[in-house]
Parts: sequence; structure tokens; C-alpha cells
Amino acid sequence: MIKTDVVIIGGGPCGLAAACGVEKSGAKCVILERDERLGGILNQCIHNGFGLHVFNEELTGPEYAHRWIDKVNECKNVKYYLNSFVYMIECTPNGYLVSAYNDEDLIEVEAKAVILALGCREKPAGSVQLLGTRPSGIFTAGCAQKLINIEGKSVGKRVVILGSGDIGLIMARRLTCEGATVLGIYEIMPQSGGLARNITQCVKDFNIPLNLSTTVTRVEGDKRLTGVYVAPVDQKLQPVAELEKFIPCDTLLLSVGLLPEIEIANDFQLEFNPTTNSYCVDEYFQTSKTGLFCAGNVLHVNDLVDNVSREGQHAGECAGLYALGKLPTAEKVEITFDDHIKYTAPKYIYKTGAGEVQVSFRVNKNYRRTIIRAISGGVEISRRPAPVVTAGEMQTVTIDKSKIQEDLHFEIQVLE
Amino acid sequence: MEKFEVAIIGAGIVGASLFSELTRKGVKTVLLEKADDVSNGSTKANSGIVHAGYDPVPGTLKAKFNIRGSQMYPSMCSRLKVDILQCGTLVVANESGREDLNKLFERGIKNGVQGMRIVEREELHKMEPNLADNIDIALFAPTGAVISPYLVCIALCEEGVVNGGTVKLNFDVDNIKPINNEYIISAGDQSVMADFVVNCAGVGANDVNKLAGAPEYPMKYVKGEYLLLDKSQNGFVHRPIFPLPTKAGKGILATLTLHHNIMLGPTAIPCEPYDTKVDAEGISQIKEKIVQSVKQPNYKKIIKLFAGVRVVSGEDFIIEKLPDTRFYYTIGICSPGLTAAPAIAEYLVEKMIQDGLQTRNHEFVSREPYINTETMDKKQLKALIKQDARFGKIVCRCEKITEGEIIQALNSPLKPTTVDGIKRRVRPTMGRCQGGFCLPKLLKIMSSNMECPEEEITLNGQGSEILANGESK
Repeated sequence: MIKTDVVIIGGGPCGLAAACGVEKSGAKCVILERDERLGGILNQCIHNGFGLHVFNEELTGPEYAHRWIDKVNECKNVKYYLNSFVYMIECTPNGYLVSAYNDEDLIEVEAKAVILALGCREKPAGSVQLLGTRPSGIFTAGCAQKLINIEGKSVGKRVVILGSGDIGLIMARRLTCEGATVLGIYEIMPQSGGLARNITQCVKDFNIPLNLSTTVTRVEGDKRLTGVYVAPVDQKLQPVAELEKFIPCDTLLLSVGLLPEIEIANDFQLEFNPTTNSYCVDEYFQTSKTGLFCAGNVLHVNDLVDNVSREGQHAGECAGLYALGKLPTAEKVEITFDDHIKYTAPKYIYKTGAGEVQVSFRVNKNYRRTIIRAISGGVEISRRPAPVVTAGEMQTVTIDKSKIQEDLHFEIQVLE
Repeated sequence: MEKFEVAIIGAGIVGASLFSELTRKGVKTVLLEKADDVSNGSTKANSGIVHAGYDPVPGTLKAKFNIRGSQMYPSMCSRLKVDILQCGTLVVANESGREDLNKLFERGIKNGVQGMRIVEREELHKMEPNLADNIDIALFAPTGAVISPYLVCIALCEEGVVNGGTVKLNFDVDNIKPINNEYIISAGDQSVMADFVVNCAGVGANDVNKLAGAPEYPMKYVKGEYLLLDKSQNGFVHRPIFPLPTKAGKGILATLTLHHNIMLGPTAIPCEPYDTKVDAEGISQIKEKIVQSVKQPNYKKIIKLFAGVRVVSGEDFIIEKLPDTRFYYTIGICSPGLTAAPAIAEYLVEKMIQDGLQTRNHEFVSREPYINTETMDKKQLKALIKQDARFGKIVCRCEKITEGEIIQALNSPLKPTTVDGIKRRVRPTMGRCQGGFCLPKLLKIMSSNMECPEEEITLNGQGSEILANGESK
């Protein structure tokens, strides 16, 4: 059995940054990565746009991952195991026992703290209740991305994309560059869930039709996909049957949302947030069970990997301090928010007095000319005008902790 | 031309049961299947329940074979080394349904169902905390059970093969020619000879009867649509929960799979043969009806929609012989056909013996079960990995399936060649990501094991290739 201070489950962007955070705290950690290399999904994201916030330059996914892998390799107290699949987390008198296996052996790691850094998965066809037959040629966008970018395969020639999440937008461009014809992107909501820059650079610049308030109603084909039916939706998001039309195609990509990969910790019955489909955390990224931390896309699906790294690093530092018995605790304040905001991460902060805390949140739809305000004890403690806030983009507000009274409330004033 | 004593047409649960029954009696048997894998029709898409037998009208073949089949299943599953969950079944009702439940109970007694009892509200809601509030009483039948219908069918076929039987896939029978006392059964340019022919072709049974000059029967094709929920919903129900049956059938139920998924359905919608499309109407019907029995399920956890077609012909099963021949046919084997199948097989073999079929002493060979690393303890898993490193390489993270398990399925007696074939044997792509993560890995493993390019690998047979030709730039 291996003994360490912190076990990090997952060696993607969150796990790598978390390891650097643990190192900074002075504690030791072990990363357990199920894939054959570190970096996670970044390895298949060969497009650029990563690292603008963390490194002040624009990198591709693999480049961004390697910046962090290099940092991890410089750490003195970080060990990692590749091809190692974690299948169980148990509690022990000393903390946690994490069990994994690889092609050589079982690996058991005992630690004071665990960081869940497992990322997220794509929703499959069933989760959007895709109707019709079940032919081949239906892929989640990320699966197609892996087949094309890592395996060098081709997934199809005439492609329809359902959903306009970032991976869907990126893959619209990628498939076009690969010589496939992207017949259209269909988004059930009145706005895209993707980043503005992706809508411009991946869709508009390539003249790919982005059809909002429109969805794929059913698919056809007994063996391979032969086509899909699409229809505009009404205000209740129900398809208008009379306007349904058939689009012949051989491939359907799904970019219909991501779900945090939380299931490994199901048995702990942690406080859960149905909005994020994940656990609630405090400002240390600690779940309702002490010593069990959760950050990055397994906590809430981020828009930018830079945010994931920032969260991971902070979670790592806090988990390290926890393992060393140095993590300060104080009275807990639950963050509240108005109707424009869907949730905040963290949910709780501590009245430890000094320092800053970053609070991230998403809004429920797109707004123009807004002011993001934080209020505590009836006093405005933070105010930021935001000309545009979109549902696809994460908002982050830094709060001076010394100003926090008994409560902390976020609101968005919409001027237009 | 290869010569057999018995040729069975159709490798669904009925054909597979018969195949296993005959091969274990030393009869030289061939199982002919038009698809590229066994268990490819109604058998792969149904509720997976061994019915206790209170539903069928006493005196019918349905009643007779249901009871006998449900008695056979536990020992058959242990012989096949496949799982069976002997959880019992519940038919639930509110107070106004008490009389109907009592009738069902009486009918069960007449049919010979053992151990049934009426459960009252307090106990019932303890047994199943997620029943709808208005449910007051239930008929509990402890002999009801849950199985994996396709795995049982696959196991029966594998057992037949290891006991000397032959399975011919992609054998779409287009001619049945009687010559003297034998039959020549052909599919394109392939033919086999047999003394006896049994039509177990399910949805295609009329077509096969026609080829043999046997009568065609009025058939109704009925589609059953289902919603499958992620295994995180494990515990929503602990056994199949049926509403009171109606003329249309057993109704829409909430049940569980052997792998802890929750399954809701089926609808009963008249359809064309082989139409397994899932429609909006069906989904709303399931959602509307299911809450009459159980609390609102968490639809955010749906991972798959699917549908199967069953064939109904009149009120009862049709199990007959074309007079003065050795051609037998089974028609309209709808519910409780899965339960009844082993009993139907037993009955058919008796009939054939009466018609001169020779059985002989045969040294039984047990089928090898699939290794399942998920059910192993640490010591067993460690030992297995030391013995074969491929059992330490994870492929499907959702269902925890390793490369070793997939290779074992690829090398199993029927040598499945499709992604669906592997899925039904050892479950990769069956979990909550539905293959989003493991599909690329699975294609690689299949391609290297089958020694063919990944581009040739199909979901479920020719025409359903997963990749397109041409490399990416």
C-alpha cells in the first residue's frame, strides 16, 4: 500500500494543476490517471485558444497540457500512475483508501485527502431522448473528435450537428477542414451554449448554418444513419410538427451537454446540486465530507480550461493544507443569488477574515448591459459593469473576505 | 452438403432453447440465423422477466409452458452460468383493484403458481418505497425473476456449440425443399440437409412457413418501447412492478436489469414487422402510465431509448406440425414467450422423439461463463491481472470492463463480430456514456483481434459500419 497526503483522481487539466497546488502547500500527492498519458481530453483538443488567462498566450490543447505536465514533473512530491483506473474510494481511520488497477497490479493508496478531478462526460443520445431508429453514424462530438484527432479516422461525409456546445462548434470546423460537409448545427435553445469566439471562428467563418430554436426530432436508417428530421421549436421547446423537414445525412454529432463524472463518490451521499449535477463545495473546493475535494469539470462544467486549472490549483493547495492540518476553518456563510444566476461555485465561504475568494457562476440566459453586484450585510461589496453576459460563459467575481458579514448575495442588474 | 438431424430456423430464445435441448441429447443440430448474431430479434429487446404464470388463461399453452418454463429457469441459469435475480414480481393496484387482483391470484392458483400472496399497503410500501401513493395492495409472486434475455439466449447457443451443435449466421433461409424423408434448407448459395425442421423465426415465422408449404397465420406485430435509466437509479424498484393487466397486455412496468439499470416500458403499439423506431407518442405514454404505479422516475438519468417487436397471433401460442411431415412451427410466441421457451423446447423434443428422432447419451460439456472483473474481490482481481495483464486494462469505465473481458468475448464460441455483439456479451457501450469514451478503444481491440481494418467493423452487420472510409487529413 502507498501512503501519501493527497490522492488526485484524474490527470487532466484539473488534476495536474491540483498536483502543483499540493506541492505548493508542502504536502505530498499521487495522481491516478486512467489513460496512457497525462493531459486528459486536452490531448484531443488540437485547436488553439487555451491558456490566454493562465499563460497569457494562445496554445493548443496538447501544448497547454504539456505546460502543466512539465510543472508536475518539476514537483518533488508528486507521483503519478498512468493506465490506472480507480474503482473504489473507502474511508479508513487515517482518511481514505483509493483502489485502482492497471495492467501490472492493484494499487492501493491511503491518504488524508482525496481530490476528485475526473472531468465530465458527454450526454448520449438517450439522455436527450433522441427518437427514431438506432443506426450507426451517431457520435457524441468528443468521441468523433478523438476518432479524428487521435486515431486518424474519418467518421462520415455528410454531417448534421445537434446542439451548439463548444465541442459541437469546434467539431463543425474540424469536420469541414477534414473534407466533410457540415449541413447545419441545430440548437433547441434561442442562443448557443458555446463561447462567442467559437461561434465566430468555427461557424460563421466557415459559413456553417447555425439554426437556433430548432432541433433534431428523430433519426432514420436501419443500419447506417440515412437522415434526420429537424423542426423549429415553440416557446415551450416543443417541435412544431408541421414545419418538420428531412435532411439526408450519414452522420449525426451530438453536442447536447456535459455531465460531471461524479459517480465514484456516489456512496458518500454528499450534498448535491441538481443544477450542476454535481456536489456542493466550500471555498476550499471541499465537499460536504471533510477531506474529499472536488474541482474542475467534475464540479461544474467550465467554459475555459484556464478556469479549470485555477480551480484545480486552489483545491490542491487546500487539500494539501488539510492533510497537514493547516486548513483554517471558521463560521460558514452560504452564498445566495437572484433569479438571473443558476448557481455559484463555491456554495459556502468561511468567515476567516483576511484574503480573497473567487466565486464563479453562470447566468440562465444572455443579457446585455448589466451590473454584477455582490452584497453583504446590506452593503454592496463588489460591483462590476458587464456589457454582455451569456449563458455559455462563466462569470467570476473576486471578493475581499474582510468585507463579508453574515451573508453574501449576488445579483445581476439588467439595464436593457 | 452438410447433413443434420434437426435444423432450427431462428436463433431467438425459442430456437436457442431448442438448440441447447437437442445438442445436450446428442442430436446433430444446426441453428440457422439470418442476422449476424444470435438473439437479434424480439429476444434482445423485451422486459427480461421470468413470469410466475398468473397471467395466462388456465388450460392454454401459454399457461402450461409459462409455469413449466418458470420452474426450469433457475436450474437452467445455473447450468448456463448466467445470472438470475429471483426477486419476485408485484402487480400493484389501488383499493378498487382488489377484486381484479384476487382474480389474478385465483388464476395463478389454477395455473399452479407457487407461493403467491396478497400484500397490503403498509408492508408493500416498505418493500417498494417508490410506489405511487395511491397504491394500496399488490399480488406478490416470489417465483418471478429477472434475467438478461439476450445473455441467456447467447449462453444457450454457446452451450449448444460446445456440445457439438452448429450455428450458421447470416443464413437467411429462402428455400425449404422436402426430398424423400429429408429437407434441403437453403440461403442463397448455401444449403444444409436435415431430417427435421423447426421454424422458430419469430417475427419472420410466416415467411418460413410459406417456404415449407405450411399455413400462414394472421399476425399482429406489436412494438414495445422502453426507457433505460442509468444505474445510479439502482434501488428505485427492487423487482418488476406491473400494473393490473388489461386486454392489451401486462401494461407498462417499472423494472430493473441485472446490472442495476432501471427500465420503464413497454408500450404496445401496432406496427410493421421489424419497425423498432421509438416515437414521441410512445415515450409520453410511458411517462403518463408509469406514475400510476410508481413515483416520478428521474428522466434526467435516461441513457437509452429502445424498442422491440413481438408478434401476436390470436390468443395462444401456436406450436404445430405440418401434418405427415417433419416440419414443426412455433408462431405468435409473444409474452410470456421468454419464460416459456425452455418448456416449448422440451415439448418439441418430445414430439420429435415420437416422430422418430433418435436421442443418445451425450457427455455434457459446460459452457465457460464470461469473466467479470467487476464482481471480483481484490485478491481475485490481483491474481487475474498477474496471470493476464489485459484484465488490468480498463476499456469501458462506466461498466468497468477490461480489454481481457472484451477479448474473451471476441474469442467466445460464436465469435461475435459486431459492436452490438460484444455489447450484449460483456457490456461495453452499455453504460452511462453509451460508448462516447470507449468506442475508439473498442474498435482498436476488435480490429486487431479480428484482423480487419477498423473501417470494416459494424454496429450490427453489413451496412452499419461505424467509421467512414478515408483517413483524416
